[in-house]
Amino acid sequence: MSEDVLQDEQEVQRQNYSEKEKTEIFDSEFMPHVDSMYNFGYRLTFDEDDAKDLVQDTYLKAFRFINSFQRGTNAKAWLFRILKNSFINEFRKKSKQPAKVDYNEVEQFYNSDDAGENITTDLRVETVQHMIGDEISGALNGIPVDFRTVIILSDLEGFTYEEMSKILDIPIGTVRSRLHRARNMLKEKLAGYAKEMGYNKED
Amino acid sequence: MSEFSDWFKDTFKNCYCDKGNLVNEEQFSEIVQLVLDNEADEESLAIFQQKISTCVKSNFTYEKEKCMREEIQKKLATYDKEIPNDLAQMIRKSVNL
Repeated sequence: MSEDVLQDEQEVQRQNYSEKEKTEIFDSEFMPHVDSMYNFGYRLTFDEDDAKDLVQDTYLKAFRFINSFQRGTNAKAWLFRILKNSFINEFRKKSKQPAKVDYNEVEQFYNSDDAGENITTDLRVETVQHMIGDEISGALNGIPVDFRTVIILSDLEGFTYEEMSKILDIPIGTVRSRLHRARNMLKEKLAGYAKEMGYNKED
Repeated sequence: MSEFSDWFKDTFKNCYCDKGNLVNEEQFSEIVQLVLDNEADEESLAIFQQKISTCVKSNFTYEKEKCMREEIQKKLATYDKEIPNDLAQMIRKSVNL
């Protein structure tokens, strides 16, 4: 992420923190989110070392551009945005992950008339209750990263649509529709997995 | 008026036939999502609650979606990775703190 992007995105007056204030902000507003940041990084990269690098890189940038951060505003969203951009702009290029999925294409499919036929509606709550976290996490990891990301931000990190819109640089309406499609994809994955494992059979 | 007021009205209308029966479950599930995500405004929420208190199919779809969401969230949350012991220290060191 370039300095310009970090400055433009906030459209706030550039701060001029003293060294003491920078340390205070870093410790009290940024560091409490390390756990969430690491888990977000891990869920994007699937690799512990890569997640660690991504988080370190994020914090380094956050500190470098700390004057673009307005004290008392949403530090967690600000950090998530930096991490997400680092992942897209730098990390994904050099990582072993497959190329970015064209989510416009996927979204178009899910907008098409045929999509409804393919969206699983018969996934039972009982089926999900039979599954363990590992299986559900595996299903989540199986959906394209742009869709996986909205589920992580909403359902695991509790961001609002507005916050997600800022983190992801997409309109709020797109957040809503992408989240819906992402959840349908996850259900499809879970239904497929349940079928494979025989979880759907009547007890 | 919130961001989704108009969207809610249009979508809600499309979900039901003239007799008031739920005919488009897929669109209704989008409305349910908005409600469960706490993104529906008060007026939309009131319309929604009124409907699920009188329509069995709508209520069933809502409850199913709600339970499914809770179950998935609960299980995903327990699958958090343990943060490396040295990460916080390494971060501080990298910024000279």
